[in-house]
Amino acid sequence: MANDVQDRVIKVVARTLKIDESRITPESRFVEDLGAESMQGVELIAAFEEEFDIDMDEQEALDVKTVGTATAFIERHLD
Amino acid sequence: MSGKREGEPSAEPAFGDIPKPGANSSRLLSFQRTNKPLDSNEKNHHIPKTNMTTTHRPLTEQELATLTSQGCQCDDWSAVQVADGFLAERVRHATFSGEIRLGRNEGSVRCEGGVERRCGIDHAHLHNVTLGDNVRVANIGVHLANYDVGSGTTIENVGLLETRPGACFGNGVEIEPLNEGGGREVILFNRLDSQFAHLLCLHRYRTGLTDALVAMAKAEAAKVVSDRGTIGRGARLMNVKSIIDVCLGDAVIVDGAASLLDGTVLSSPDAPTLIGTDVQAENFIIAEGSKVTGGAMVSKSFVGQGCQIGRQFSSEGSVFFANCEGFHGEACSVFAGPYTVTHHKSTLLIAGYFSFYNAGSGTNQSNHLYKLGPVHEGKLERGCKTGSFSYMMWPCRVGPFSVVLGKHTRTFDTSDFPFSYIEASPEGRCMLTPGFNFTTVGTVRDGAKWPARDRRQGDVRRDRLCFDVLSPLTVGRMIRGSERMKELQEKTDRAVETVTIGGAEMKRVMLRSAQKTYRTAINLYLLEQVVARLEDAGQKGGASPAEALAVSPKAVLDEQWVDIGGQLLPKARLDALCEAVEKEGANGFDTLCRLLDEAFDHYAEDQWAWVCWAYERVHGEQLAALDQPALVKLVDDWAKTKEKFLKLVLLDAGKEFDPVVQTGFGQDGTGEDAGADFSAVRGTLEGNSFVNKVNDEIAGVAGHAEAIKKLL
Repeated sequence: MANDVQDRVIKVVARTLKIDESRITPESRFVEDLGAESMQGVELIAAFEEEFDIDMDEQEALDVKTVGTATAFIERHLD
Repeated sequence: MSGKREGEPSAEPAFGDIPKPGANSSRLLSFQRTNKPLDSNEKNHHIPKTNMTTTHRPLTEQELATLTSQGCQCDDWSAVQVADGFLAERVRHATFSGEIRLGRNEGSVRCEGGVERRCGIDHAHLHNVTLGDNVRVANIGVHLANYDVGSGTTIENVGLLETRPGACFGNGVEIEPLNEGGGREVILFNRLDSQFAHLLCLHRYRTGLTDALVAMAKAEAAKVVSDRGTIGRGARLMNVKSIIDVCLGDAVIVDGAASLLDGTVLSSPDAPTLIGTDVQAENFIIAEGSKVTGGAMVSKSFVGQGCQIGRQFSSEGSVFFANCEGFHGEACSVFAGPYTVTHHKSTLLIAGYFSFYNAGSGTNQSNHLYKLGPVHEGKLERGCKTGSFSYMMWPCRVGPFSVVLGKHTRTFDTSDFPFSYIEASPEGRCMLTPGFNFTTVGTVRDGAKWPARDRRQGDVRRDRLCFDVLSPLTVGRMIRGSERMKELQEKTDRAVETVTIGGAEMKRVMLRSAQKTYRTAINLYLLEQVVARLEDAGQKGGASPAEALAVSPKAVLDEQWVDIGGQLLPKARLDALCEAVEKEGANGFDTLCRLLDEAFDHYAEDQWAWVCWAYERVHGEQLAALDQPALVKLVDDWAKTKEKFLKLVLLDAGKEFDPVVQTGFGQDGTGEDAGADFSAVRGTLEGNSFVNKVNDEIAGVAGHAEAIKKLL
């Protein structure tokens, strides 16, 4: 499941931030490495919620800084 | 000399009763932050009056001899009368013509730097003038004509000061705010307030009301028409080139102004008004406690109470109500509701309605599409901000507490989407993110700062202001906005990337999350209102929860609320008010003031009726039907929602200390120096007073909830 979730996370990130998937790794930081602005952070949460049909706590979600931790965060919601 | 300091306003009224300071009835409650105006009958006191009551007598032969020996001239000395206590030796090189009445002049006035100067007249031509007691008039270039001058006033180094026959003093001037092309004219008069101006300017669809308001404004304006102007008590006019057809209130300071033409400066000892260096003003009214300084150019404009206009700001055809600030930039045909603030050069506000607004540098709008003229208009509802070099092509309407960024070249209406971020796409399309501004530090700070920064002083406060950020207005809009987004979400395919709503584009995935944000905001407001009621009743004792939650029979319930120039009220109450006023026509001004005051007084009752209605609509159950366990759960829900909200605000505050915003700090140092430099300049998150306040509030929420539950 981990790889599947990670792949979907990367696809969502690429689609939302309009960047190539190849640029995105689990270590990628949303702001510093992928250039996400604060508004896009909220957009990412919305996209993750839709993709995985989950309801994320905004405060906890906005604390997530990398693609890898986002994957782990979502996996916890899916468990 | 009397015991009081000379030059200060006399304690004895010479121009009518002046109410004592400290009699204002402003109130700031945690759940109802409003600023209550005084009874409408009390609102006329600072308007200069022309009736002087001192008894005068003809000059004695000795006085006449002294005057002529000191270079004074007059064709008919019998027309010169003086009060007992008049000292002829203090009048030198004066020319008199027309009817002259001079008061006692044995005292002195205190000028800049604390220098005491003798009262009297020196090098001046007075024509049809009455001077109160202890007035100093010196070095009048042309003449001082057709004025009543209050006691303790100084007029020195003034080129020309005259009232011409039938002067209106800025009253009755018709200006064109909001729509530069006309059709929304506001008539200036001394008692104009933001509510009256709002109704006159914006409710043109109520033709009967418009006719009545126009008649009222004209009737009010007609009251001040006179061949004589007034300069109030304790006024100081220094180094002014010309003042023509201008009434000046008590304690006003006019220092270095270039030209004042056809206007009134309302002023009082407890709310003195300042007109400063190089100011040019024509066809204007400036209200109590305002400062118009620094070469400002004010033409066909109304400047309300506690405003600050300066640094070469120019205003034309605009109204500014309580606590507005205008520096450097330009306002043209602007309706600046309370707390409209523009500080920067290159900022043009044009043909717009604003309130509780902050303009970023270079903010600009267009009202002229080079077709039928400058006929377009726009509205930014209360609490909006525009970012640096933001641009909007009117017509647009921006919902409350929204932030506008970028260059917008398309029309949009986001009035059902408060607390939005409104960015422009590279093509100039509006990109809407509803609710994003709800949990920002800026919004929370704004809500606290406005009531704290009310500069209006003294007993007269004309504009009726409700400061609440969350109110039936904003929460009602969020309910409507949520419903619109839900409907759109349900009917839009997931493959669609963006949707259009109100002419704005929105990322489809945001439809769901924006509803979630609004849900939090709606709940926070409704639960907070209920909890406050329960707590209040519990602390007072005697009232059961059911009684505490009951709606007053005096309340007016309407789903729709309106914001008229800073006052919030149910639309139904406004409709009734308008109907009543229409019937009274020109005589209805006091009725209008009374009804607006009543609406203001009923704000809490009306709000509560709305909360009960909204709670049922949102939660599907009546508040009155909640039993004790349900109320306990409600209090718990409130605590959770409040804590969640405050934590999101903290998260936003944290962004201000993020390493990303430390970019550029630590000049010429190492990477470690950047952090140290940042801390030295900006402080730390842990040490920030706002953050600590929010943290304290979070820490107190659970205990607060427990205390309330014990009261149930």
